[in-house]
Amino acid sequence: MMKKLLFWSVLILLGACEEQVTDGSRLDDHVSKPLVLTSNYPLYYFASEIAGDVVNVQMPDIDGDPAMWVPGAADIPQLQAADLIVINGAGYESWLAFTSLDTDRLLDTTEDIQDLLLPIESATLHQHGPEGEHSHESIAFTTWLDPQIAIEQAGAIARGLSALVPAQAEAFETRLALLEKRLDELDGSFEQVFTNLKNQPLVFSHPIYQYLQKRYGLNARSLHWEPETEPGTRDWIDLGNLLREHPAKLMIWEATPLDTVREKLVHMGVRSVTFSPAGNQPDQGDYFMVMKDNLLQLSVGMGQKQ
Amino acid sequence: MSGIQISNLKFSYASAGGFHMHIPRLDIAAGECVAIVGPSGSGKTTLLNLVAGTFVARSGEIDVAGQRLHNMTEGARRRFRIDQVGQVFQAFELLEYLSVAENILLPRLIDPDGRKSSDAQQRIQSLLASVGLQDKADKMPGELSHGERQRVAVCRAMFNRPALLLADEPTGNLDQDNKQKVVELLISQARQHDSMLMMVTHDHSMLDAFERVIDFAELVDSK
Amino acid sequence: MTGAFFLGWRYLRYHRLKSLVLLASVSLMMFLPTATRLLVADSATALTARAQATPLLLGERGGELELVLNSLYFHAEQPPQLPYSALDDVEDSGLADGIPLYTRFRSRGAPIVGTSLDYFEFRNLQLADGRMMGLLGEAVVGANVASEQGIGPGNNLVSSPETVFDLAGVYPLKMRVVGVLARSGSPDDDAVFVDVRTAWVIQGLGHGHEDLAQGKSSGSVLSRAQGTITANAALKQFNEITAENIRDFHFHGDTSGFPLSAVIIVPPDDKSATLLRGRYQNHESGYQVLVPGEVLDGLLETVFTIQNYIILGLMMLSLATIAVVTLVFLLSQQLRRGEFMTLKRMGASRGFVATLIASEIGFVLLGSLVMTAILSWVTRHYATEFLLSLVAL
Repeated sequence: MMKKLLFWSVLILLGACEEQVTDGSRLDDHVSKPLVLTSNYPLYYFASEIAGDVVNVQMPDIDGDPAMWVPGAADIPQLQAADLIVINGAGYESWLAFTSLDTDRLLDTTEDIQDLLLPIESATLHQHGPEGEHSHESIAFTTWLDPQIAIEQAGAIARGLSALVPAQAEAFETRLALLEKRLDELDGSFEQVFTNLKNQPLVFSHPIYQYLQKRYGLNARSLHWEPETEPGTRDWIDLGNLLREHPAKLMIWEATPLDTVREKLVHMGVRSVTFSPAGNQPDQGDYFMVMKDNLLQLSVGMGQKQ
Repeated sequence: MSGIQISNLKFSYASAGGFHMHIPRLDIAAGECVAIVGPSGSGKTTLLNLVAGTFVARSGEIDVAGQRLHNMTEGARRRFRIDQVGQVFQAFELLEYLSVAENILLPRLIDPDGRKSSDAQQRIQSLLASVGLQDKADKMPGELSHGERQRVAVCRAMFNRPALLLADEPTGNLDQDNKQKVVELLISQARQHDSMLMMVTHDHSMLDAFERVIDFAELVDSK
Repeated sequence: MTGAFFLGWRYLRYHRLKSLVLLASVSLMMFLPTATRLLVADSATALTARAQATPLLLGERGGELELVLNSLYFHAEQPPQLPYSALDDVEDSGLADGIPLYTRFRSRGAPIVGTSLDYFEFRNLQLADGRMMGLLGEAVVGANVASEQGIGPGNNLVSSPETVFDLAGVYPLKMRVVGVLARSGSPDDDAVFVDVRTAWVIQGLGHGHEDLAQGKSSGSVLSRAQGTITANAALKQFNEITAENIRDFHFHGDTSGFPLSAVIIVPPDDKSATLLRGRYQNHESGYQVLVPGEVLDGLLETVFTIQNYIILGLMMLSLATIAVVTLVFLLSQQLRRGEFMTLKRMGASRGFVATLIASEIGFVLLGSLVMTAILSWVTRHYATEFLLSLVAL
């Protein structure tokens, strides 16, 4: 009898002890900041400038051109953890076609300015079987290169951030105004430099400068050359043919071309100038510094005598 | 007065046409061991049932161990059987679903006033020892030989230390060797407990052990 | 009278087989009608709960029950398909959010549900392991699928071909499991979830191939002319979306025409719901908007009627069982007449013997009651899920 009593008492006591377990681990006393992800560097820069330290702005770890980025399984947790994903739109993020994201958290910075977007024709058509011929029609996506469009995109970011952290809306507005001012100034600087080039035929190494072309009325044609690749014989011939009817003296590259290529171009009467679209994080400096450097390169290239 | 005194006992079955029994007189002394012989169907078993109080006589007197059976209620007779009578049957009549020990305990189990007590286990053990079956307490009847089963039945009959031990053809289902053993056992148990023994048999080879043999035919009045 | 109970108990224990058979018969007799009621009531509740939790369903005009069963319980019977543009229409109306469903395909019997991430929030499904799908070709599986097929994050799943002779149509797609859902006690436990676009890839509406313009795949090229490259049949159509080939995956044609089984409509309030229903009343599109709860009520009415017939049948069976059990008892008592006689001769009262018999009956009845209670508890806990899984077959 006593044994039974003891047994049941112990059991009940143990049961009571269970209730003492603390409910879950203690979270940090401060609430963690919202996470904002951007798909390229210009958006990252704009978002950081507008948000300050109210939110945690990040860019995925991208090697090379973010326009070519393909998220892997390792990138998905970061994408899924983000409270806001800021994208360029205009087809920049081809990876949207094969990722599953919470669409409520997606902020397309060019969604409201579809009328300002420019189409480009694809270089290749391809067809298969009974479905017949088709082409991948594209929109030009380096929208931020036009500072006025960049202002629109910054505005969209500010609105998105205000929806995320309504208490800071005013602060965002203030910082947005500052950013807009700087972009306006950049626009002015570009205008100054490009005015001198207005009627000159230009060649772009790659079709990524449509928005500059449109904004500043440039007379330019695009090739499909890569800075790190030696063009083939066919490419040189095509360039020669092009220069005959479009006698450009300046070729604008997205990155420094090979020395051999540059020299050959000089022989053909074409000077090479680097204008980085700043798609990815620069090794040094920030967005405006990169653009400033671009302008300097242009000025030097234009002023350089053969 | 102890012992059995039967006087002018008349009995007949309610249904069976024609069976009547009339015993003018029968006296058995306390502690006496008697064998009752007679042809089957003559009423020997009926006599045992009357003496046990199982049957009720139409008229006459039966006194057993100082109890006046002819005056008793049914409940009182049941009480009497539990307390004063031990019975051993030809077919052993052990309950197959109880163990040996539990079978021996049966008189306590059917007793409405029966109480659980530690002395019951001691009693069972000592009874089993006295019949040489001390290791069989947990066995089931189906695991015992006929001789062993009848010995268990004897233990059961003696459990309450009855004044009267009734045995109705107890050797009928046994081989010769066991017959002898069982009869000797009955008598020794009766003597040990100072009980009367009435054993009905039609096996005359068993009669030598008894101090008194009653011819049933002479007992009854055939008129 | 405890002696009588003791004897009754020992008798039952000794005749184990007979006692168990009696116990089983009586238990079943008690349990079956109870179970029937429980199952029907619980299943109805579960079915209804899921239907009630789904405000509206949009589908192509056709069988209402088919649409509801397929969308809510992933029943194999496919409703007529409707285009993805139907979802856009719902979203554009500004009256509600839409969640796509495409349930055409299976993987080893488990339904593959092509949907969006919104589905999980809508059904309040939590992750037990891993993460939500993020890339084309990834899948999240229900708790039962994970345990039955022994898979978890990192394992693969293959879609089943629709027919054995499916050469040019639906081909198996190997998908990567990235997450396992926590048990929800609903048909979601038995399903595999993918992005609706992955389901379209299974159907063959989208695929990847090596970029023909890059020049690596000269073996696959028939001709290049004027910026047009024609591929030959040797061009590989991937049956697995990997990190290497994912960027080549694309869909041909306008995805707004691509198929769905249904759209779950989630209106913010009753007014929006009513407005939407009104819009689709005689819509030019021919689509139907259903309230799943109403459709199911009709089905359940039939089920309850059938239940009553079943119980009636069971009652008949019970009567027969009682008759047989009674017979067994009576025969048993007949056989034990000698035993009872011995007891009486030893001094047991008639009441004792009656109690002995009654206690045997009582023990069997008590045991049956306990057995019935246990079986009912088990039924309550497990049978409903099992029944619902039958609906999905």
